Amino acid sequence: MLSNRVHDLYVLESLSDGDTVVHRLHPQVKLIATLAFIITIVSFNRYDVLGAVPYFIYPILILSLAELPAGMLHRRFLIALPFCSFAAVTNLILLRETAFVFGGIAFSWGFLSMLAILLRTYLCVMAVFILIATTPFPALTRELRRLHAPKILITLIEMIYRYIGVLIDEAGSMAIAYKLRSVKSKGIAMKDMGSFVGQLAIRSFDRGERIYAAMACRGYGRDIPDTGRTRMAAADIVCMILFCTAFVLLRFFPVLHML
Amino acid sequence: MHMADALLSPQVGVGMYAASVAAIAVATAKIKKDDFGESKVPLMAVSGAMVFAAQMINFTIPGTGSSGHIGGGILLAALLGPFAGLLALSAVLVIQCLVFADGGLLALGCNIFNMGVIPCLFIYPLLFRPILSPSPTAKRIWIGSTAGVVAALQLGAFGVVAETTASGVAALPFSAFVVLMQPIHLAIGVIEGIVTAAILNFVYAARPSILTSAAYGSGAPVLRGHAPDRGRAKSPKTVIIVFACIAVILGAAMSLFASANPDGLEWSMERVAGTTELETGESTVFSIVSGVQDRTAILPDYDFAKGDGTGTSAAGLIGAILVFAIAGAAGLVIRVYKKRRRKNIDAI
Repeated sequence: MLSNRVHDLYVLESLSDGDTVVHRLHPQVKLIATLAFIITIVSFNRYDVLGAVPYFIYPILILSLAELPAGMLHRRFLIALPFCSFAAVTNLILLRETAFVFGGIAFSWGFLSMLAILLRTYLCVMAVFILIATTPFPALTRELRRLHAPKILITLIEMIYRYIGVLIDEAGSMAIAYKLRSVKSKGIAMKDMGSFVGQLAIRSFDRGERIYAAMACRGYGRDIPDTGRTRMAAADIVCMILFCTAFVLLRFFPVLHML
Repeated sequence: MHMADALLSPQVGVGMYAASVAAIAVATAKIKKDDFGESKVPLMAVSGAMVFAAQMINFTIPGTGSSGHIGGGILLAALLGPFAGLLALSAVLVIQCLVFADGGLLALGCNIFNMGVIPCLFIYPLLFRPILSPSPTAKRIWIGSTAGVVAALQLGAFGVVAETTASGVAALPFSAFVVLMQPIHLAIGVIEGIVTAAILNFVYAARPSILTSAAYGSGAPVLRGHAPDRGRAKSPKTVIIVFACIAVILGAAMSLFASANPDGLEWSMERVAGTTELETGESTVFSIVSGVQDRTAILPDYDFAKGDGTGTSAAGLIGAILVFAIAGAAGLVIRVYKKRRRKNIDAI
């Protein structure tokens, strides 16, 4: 079970190894386009279903261009649903006044806002997935560093991301040992959680000390030289401008409303 | 408790980003000032990864048949000190957002504030540390952790409610949302608090040096062995703050009793919310959601009087279908073209 989670953790990043038009774009372009995408979508009125529809072009096209496995990404999307679907359903229950009649059937404002929330959820989650699946993690953190995010935080993100797999493995072998010694147990009993996670914490601390010693031996503490693609090509800049203007234009001139 | 982008307005999202970035900047500055700060980074990273791994372990809650997992705010703050704890927790939240879509990119500011800043920078110094001083004992760790986690989750849940209501995407009124969220998070908080206390007690019993070394790192010394902490016994300010926190907890408890006899609508919403929060299985969530949908008619009463808007909505629907059709066709063409080109390359 836990080994599946390790797989889940790194499978998106493994996709970023590809070599397509989207993968070759400068990471900063993708980062800024993703942010522009999410902010413009979220700024729509809460009943606005039609306005958000044209934005589907972005995930659909990028998924194909980047040759990403759509099925897998959609399965992952389901993880993000519960909280949003809860809000969507309460909106459906609470806003019962008729918004419009179509084909003899009256649709409520709640129905509209439910649809809008679900569409937005899908678009925002997919945008982040696309970013991660087409940008290697080190490239992303390098961009964040260049944008002057706190160095310690970025180092932490990089290290935690790498060590989660190690610690899940450790926790997994501990869980197997626990299961072998307990009868008919489905998970870890709550009364044993203290010693279980406590043990894990102690092991982690020991590991942390060893890691620091090893890193210090290899010159940790000096600034890491920034190697990697620095400059944006002309095509990158054109792409960034195209994406951002497209998102903003679609926001202020919602095409489908004009029909 | 992770918030999503879809329920957020840009103003609230950006505002909460500013708050969280400020808190992270303060924490970074504090750690840099500390001589041992840099050497703590690997320790912080491994602890963050440990909390991430521990969150994936479901434990069984006795007598309920359901399972829970730990959140880790107070745990990290206690092990690393508040500032290092906040940074480690923020990094964990960033990774969860990017890799698991657990909370959105725009909602990251809200999530770091609700789950990181509140436990590490508010609850820890104002409630957890006062309870544990002058020196930690098993009993103080029990009380401090449970109270700290409960208070942190209450405030965090309140933050979720406030940010969602301020965004105005969800229609649920503020009062109903509060009544819904606080009791649920009281239950979660009690369980998580007990587990956190058990973990900290185990660590303290087995390796007190881990907790005492938090004293020499950045941030305030919490579990500083048996060294008496003279200066900060009980100032009236801390007493007031502790009482304020107790008031928050009591308010939540009261709302629990208030909602013991709710009307049908509230009852059903509470069931939805309760299960979405406590169980992560998608199938159960879906069955419940669809159950609620069945129980409440999707389409309200027919209203033929207001027949306007039919024309525009039909055009809109057709337009939407066209968008999907054209984009889908383009995507398909790209895929087919790429496949064929790859075949040609392979053939050569």
